[in-house]
Amino acid sequence: MITRKQLSRRTLLRGVGASIALPALDAMSPALASLNRVKAKSPVRLAFVYVPNGIILNEWRPAKTGRDFEFTRILKPLEKYRDDLFVLRGLDDRNGNELGDGPGDHARAGASILTGVHPRKTAGADVKGGVSVDQIAAQHFGRETRLPSLELGCEDARTVGNCDSGYSCAYTNSISWRGPTTPMPPEVNPRMAFERLFGVADFSLDEKTRARRAQQRKSILDLVRDDTQQLAKTLGTNDRRKIDEYLTAVREIEKRIQLAEHLDVNPALEKPSGIPLDFSEYARLMYDLMLVGFQADVTRVATFMVGREGSLRVYPEIGVPDPHHPLTHHRNNADWIEKVTKINCLHVQLFADFLGRLQATPDGDGTLLDHAAIVYTSGLADGNRHTHEDLPVLLAGHGDGALKPGSHLALKSGTPMTNLYLTLLDKAGVRTDKLGDSNGRLEPLSELNGV
Amino acid sequence: MGQQRDKWARVQQMIQSGAMPPKGRPRPDDTEVQNVLRALEQALAREEANLKPAPGRVTARRLNRAEYNNTVRDLLGVTLRPADDFPQDDSGYGFDNIGDVLSVSPVLMEKYLAAAERVARVALFGDERLKPTAVRHRPGDRRIDATTTPLTEYDLTGLTLPNALHVTHKFPVTGEYGIRLVMGGTRPGGSEPLRLNAWVDGKSLPEAQLDLDNAATFTPGRQEFTGNIVETRARVEAGERWLAGSIVRMYEGLPPEYNGPNPSKRTRPTPQEFRLPPDIPPERAEEIRRRVAQRRTETAPINEVRVVAIEIAGPYEQPTGPSPASLQQVYVCGHLNGKHAAAACARRIVAALARRAYRRPVKTTEVDKLVGLVTAARQQGDSFEESLCVALQAMLVSPHFLFRLERDPGVVVAGFTPAVRGNDDKRPAGAKPAATTAHLITQHELASRLSYFLWSSMPDDELLRCADAGALRNPSALAAQLRRMLKDLKSRALVENFGGQWLELRKLESLKPDRQRFPAFDEYLRLSMRRETELFIESVVRDDRSLLDFIDAPYTFVNERLAKYYALPDVKGPEFRRVSLVGNERRGGLVTQASVLTVSSYSTRTSPVLRGKWMLENLLNAPPPPPLPDAPTLDESQIGTTRSLRQQLEQHRANPICASCHIRMDALGFSLENYDAIGGWRELDGKLPIDATGTLPDGRAFKGSVELKQILRADRDAFTRCVAEKLLTYALGRGLERYDQPTVKAIAARVAKQDYRFSSLVLEIVNSMPFQQRANAQGERRS
Repeated sequence: MITRKQLSRRTLLRGVGASIALPALDAMSPALASLNRVKAKSPVRLAFVYVPNGIILNEWRPAKTGRDFEFTRILKPLEKYRDDLFVLRGLDDRNGNELGDGPGDHARAGASILTGVHPRKTAGADVKGGVSVDQIAAQHFGRETRLPSLELGCEDARTVGNCDSGYSCAYTNSISWRGPTTPMPPEVNPRMAFERLFGVADFSLDEKTRARRAQQRKSILDLVRDDTQQLAKTLGTNDRRKIDEYLTAVREIEKRIQLAEHLDVNPALEKPSGIPLDFSEYARLMYDLMLVGFQADVTRVATFMVGREGSLRVYPEIGVPDPHHPLTHHRNNADWIEKVTKINCLHVQLFADFLGRLQATPDGDGTLLDHAAIVYTSGLADGNRHTHEDLPVLLAGHGDGALKPGSHLALKSGTPMTNLYLTLLDKAGVRTDKLGDSNGRLEPLSELNGV
Repeated sequence: MGQQRDKWARVQQMIQSGAMPPKGRPRPDDTEVQNVLRALEQALAREEANLKPAPGRVTARRLNRAEYNNTVRDLLGVTLRPADDFPQDDSGYGFDNIGDVLSVSPVLMEKYLAAAERVARVALFGDERLKPTAVRHRPGDRRIDATTTPLTEYDLTGLTLPNALHVTHKFPVTGEYGIRLVMGGTRPGGSEPLRLNAWVDGKSLPEAQLDLDNAATFTPGRQEFTGNIVETRARVEAGERWLAGSIVRMYEGLPPEYNGPNPSKRTRPTPQEFRLPPDIPPERAEEIRRRVAQRRTETAPINEVRVVAIEIAGPYEQPTGPSPASLQQVYVCGHLNGKHAAAACARRIVAALARRAYRRPVKTTEVDKLVGLVTAARQQGDSFEESLCVALQAMLVSPHFLFRLERDPGVVVAGFTPAVRGNDDKRPAGAKPAATTAHLITQHELASRLSYFLWSSMPDDELLRCADAGALRNPSALAAQLRRMLKDLKSRALVENFGGQWLELRKLESLKPDRQRFPAFDEYLRLSMRRETELFIESVVRDDRSLLDFIDAPYTFVNERLAKYYALPDVKGPEFRRVSLVGNERRGGLVTQASVLTVSSYSTRTSPVLRGKWMLENLLNAPPPPPLPDAPTLDESQIGTTRSLRQQLEQHRANPICASCHIRMDALGFSLENYDAIGGWRELDGKLPIDATGTLPDGRAFKGSVELKQILRADRDAFTRCVAEKLLTYALGRGLERYDQPTVKAIAARVAKQDYRFSSLVLEIVNSMPFQQRANAQGERRS
């Protein structure tokens, strides 16, 4: 059995960003790796990246479709990965619309984007949405990896009352839903996310020091064990029971340390101390956690909420000291539009950096980017007007050869987002006939094989 | 009677309460009942008098979390509190320092190993370097009733207003931190910049300002604060701190038309022209236009802006190197100007540390082994400090450190040796002690018992010196030590750990009173009510006051928040102070303190049953048995509307089995009905007037807290025994047995003769047989 503890001892990871070449972690854990080896091919990794409050669409949408489309101001950082991604037009999340429920587009956008289900309007505990695409994949892969799925976010969850015009905060807090009444709130603390992935890991040290510390720890335990055995002989029954308990624990720890000894790897990601102060560093770290989770095959499915819908984050470091959400209701104020564009650009830049690191990470017969399929979407198209149609969507990665990216595709207007998801599930080997409001696969399928 | 004693006691209780014989069955006449009761009472008393006291045998006690934290602090000057990350300690008999219950799991062992490494490294090399990170606290807003009328008489600091936010945060290391106030709400456009204060432990940081008069806003004509953040830097010492963010002089700087004090001198901005977004369907457009027009005519509320979250960023700068306190504790050979003659005296350092870590003299062979670790590390090329670190870690995971071990002497002492004055428990002449043998614990074991009892920590140097000199059984030396220990700030541990568990105050941390029903409840109130009771107990301990002050006292401790809550005049600011309650009928003594009233309530309503049970358990030492499995529950929806809680409970008591316990519980609890579920004063429960009367089974009728306290004072013997029993359990770290009853009784009787002074209770416990002695292993039951 692969236990969390064993893994923690093996996974001395460090140097985030310092070395991009991450070692193949499967060497560290035969138990985990064996799952890979039985499969001839590397597994497909699915990720869904979500940005809040819509996008300044004029600065996003390329004019030309097909292979030689141009990279607009917001998409510019992605130019290097022209052959690794699709820009998609024509996808709708129509269940984000009011459909008779009145205001609350932000809440509905978050709750419906991965489910295709119109959430029940309630501020109480009786929330009801749908099952999200990542969780369907998680149910499928969950048997093969230690974590069925990883939910990450960069914004703390609000837990009380209503978050948008009479909608429970559960709707804006989580895009991932295990069941209609079970949202999966994202982990926002990198340290906790790390521990979820790898257990309570040791801090980083050079190899020689680590070896010596391990040796010293062993002599400490030797000494303590010998002393305690002597002691135990001189005690009465009840005291002895306590000391025996202690001895058993010591022996158990010695065993664990022994097991961990020959499973050490070169560090690749240091255990985070908490939430970095700088937003870019924070987001990069969360992307890194997703990356090492994929790399070590601890999980194959992840969602990442760069912000939650209605986000009020301020970005003073790029000249935007005002909260995000009010700015998006710009009423055509040029200054505000510019500020929102800056935020959109920053988010895409961080995504591009992530793609770069995926591409630099060897995985099986290629790189992680070769084996990944990553959807990047905003919950709303135009944040000023709360539109849910023709969403700005990217699809990155090659899906282990199942996708042939490299173009700007205009899909039939009014295609549900969920049709894209069904198609991706197909490519990842997960058969599902319906997801939320889906009404088919993306037809023809070859659409996603480039033009 | 013997083994059957408990059964007979129960028979007595059932007859006394009238529960037996059951209703509808033939009932003996009153004289007959009284005769039976008298006979039972005499038989029970005889049995009690013949009970033979015994010292008992405490099982080796593992340090619990509080003790571990305090011990590494006192041993090495390390304020890390590593045990906060250990698994929760189990508790037994109401306390979490019970040897039999505290266990060691592999998970805990792993934590011990990691903590030893951290603690040793911090002691020798200084705090670990932490990267600056951010932690956000968002406990939830308090309700604010919007107003457009400025106040003139209000808390200028803003701390007690619902616009302020209060949280507790544990700072991992000493260093410079940014305290960020995350704002919410709006203020009228044209107001002066908002003035904000961050507070650490009630001390204000420099004032900050936030000017949003020209910033993005959803609502034209208002300053929109939501999402804005103001940061103030401060150096903060490691440990748990109370943080607050408040709005200073909230009703100043508003536009002149509000007629507030010090109005704004700004010119009003011209309202922005309203343009409809494109593509809006005509039917919506009309509605939007109407809404905007309406907003324009509204007067913006002035008290809506508030602190919604506090974020702690940092540490930005940390001191480097070991702390002076650590240096002093470790380098006994001296450590001058950063250079020390340490390498030469490794053995002295290790021996001194081991003696303190194990809290007893150490054998040469023990020191040899530890020095061996240092030498081995040196040979591998580690520095002196690194090598010393290995030995220190070994001490910190040793059972001699982690457990309070008490050893049987080689030679068994037969019978009991009266230890010191006060240990001559009144045994009937000729009565032999229980048929087992015991011994006096050693001076060093006694020193540890004393220090863990009063300080939840290791003995300090003076106590160890006394033990070395064999002076701890000298009555005057011991009394002097006890006085010194109770005066020491470390005795706050007794308040936190004993008080916190005895009165169930620890529950206060996790309670979540219903926000709808109790909008006044916020973190500030929670912190303040906890502090009141802590200071109150502390004053009884430190100033050596009467135990009966717990029942009723003409004083308490409040800050402005609590003073307002209790309607006490003339208290300004966040600092606590002692105030007189003379002439105040509503407050005084533990049972009227908001903390106690809150922990004995449900989150939505008061419960006379819970409060009655709380008093029976914690003040009168008469815990009621658990309710019958099929006991009917109350219909919550009816409370305060159609049928009062009292009516419902009275119906419940129609069942004689239930009545036997409830009649007492409910009577006690109902007398506190004038206090709501968070301890606030009230005259009505919902729509119905409060009826705070009660009648005890023995016929004593009383009304309200004042008469309740008279009843409790009348029962002071039971109360004193109760406190004695609780404190003895805590002091020994074991559950009390039948054979401890004579000891408890004797302690209580002596305390009564000494004006119930707290120090007399401590002294009597310390001098008692079970504290001074330990049964030998032979008598132990095989398990």
